[in-house]
Amino acid sequence: MKTVFINCSPKKNLSASAYLVAIQRLFVKGRKVTKKFRHKSDYAGIFEELKDAESVVFCTPLYVDGLPSHVLAFLEEAERFFKENQLRLNLYCIANNGFIEGRQNEPLMQVLENFCVRAGVRWRGGVGIGGGVMLNVTRIIFVVQTAVFLILNIINGIKNGVFLDTGILSIFLKNAGLLLFLNAGVLFFLIWMGIAINKRSFFSKRYTRVLVPSFIFILIANIFFVLISLFKGGLFRGWLARK
Amino acid sequence: MRVILHDLDSIYSERLLKKCDAIIEADGRYAACQGCFGCWVKHPAECFIKDKLQKTCLILGRADELIVITKNLYGTYSANIKKVMDRSIGTSTPLSTYRAWEMHHTLRYGKHDLMKVLVYGDITEQEKATFIYTAERNAVNNGYRASEVLFFDSPSEAERAL
Repeated sequence: MKTVFINCSPKKNLSASAYLVAIQRLFVKGRKVTKKFRHKSDYAGIFEELKDAESVVFCTPLYVDGLPSHVLAFLEEAERFFKENQLRLNLYCIANNGFIEGRQNEPLMQVLENFCVRAGVRWRGGVGIGGGVMLNVTRIIFVVQTAVFLILNIINGIKNGVFLDTGILSIFLKNAGLLLFLNAGVLFFLIWMGIAINKRSFFSKRYTRVLVPSFIFILIANIFFVLISLFKGGLFRGWLARK
Repeated sequence: MRVILHDLDSIYSERLLKKCDAIIEADGRYAACQGCFGCWVKHPAECFIKDKLQKTCLILGRADELIVITKNLYGTYSANIKKVMDRSIGTSTPLSTYRAWEMHHTLRYGKHDLMKVLVYGDITEQEKATFIYTAERNAVNNGYRASEVLFFDSPSEAERAL
């Protein structure tokens, strides 16, 4: 069984889609291939991998209530490719958006379902995830936390001869537990969809989000953008003004 | 201000210009959004990509009525039209709020009146339903008071409907 994961984010590195592909891959058996799709020049490599695949997983951000434009252009080519090669793949989707509500991915899901009807491939459903950017940040925080944990233990070991301090370990586990909780909804649904991919069965459309109350999420998102805009200079260039 | 965004051949633009205050030709001769958020956090309402869409936010932001003429593609806009929309998120600000009981970005140019979408080309009933739903979502997201979607067999029929 071969599954092709297509990371449709136009970002070069550290996209939320790349993070979600990495999680989904953990729960899918058989041969797995991940392809990055940013430009038209990526088409040929993706189509080559799709020729002998049984399932394909589109992992994409939501742009203005729909698929990003470069993905729409790709789908037009893909429809021709699937028909010419008479491929009947199983198509799954992982969509993520910056807003907290995963359900805002619904129009994107419908478009992919309509594509499947036209292209003659099997629509199997997908997971729509709210708060994709924040989820992506949790993995960066986890890496930083792990690095700090290791450094503190090494320093403690050199100073006191104890290389695994229970106090430091306890703080690390608490923080890691919090990050795991924020990701719990995503993990649950991606495990569930992983089972469906392995069985090549129908999954339907499911929606989840980063597990934070929406008013706290909005507050954090606004602080995040104030800081980024301060750093990038937009805050001083008519940040909220009409242009 | 009445703005028309269309993916028709350029010969239509001259005639359409008589029916609006500004026109945006979605001819595809521009890059796709890179998702950098620069139009929010670096140069507000401006794209870092120096092509014809660099300052499109300034036109779309001022539209009281936006008319989109697009070919159907799986129940949504053609890729060329969607490119313009993706490159225009600077019409909102990076700050978020609640609108229609959901999280959305605040509007740089305030509320708009009507978003009208004229769809041409082959389309299924399911795709029509998706299009109507997508336009409703766009209207909420971009601060339009209402959305309307009309379907036509050909581009010329869509043009005549204006």
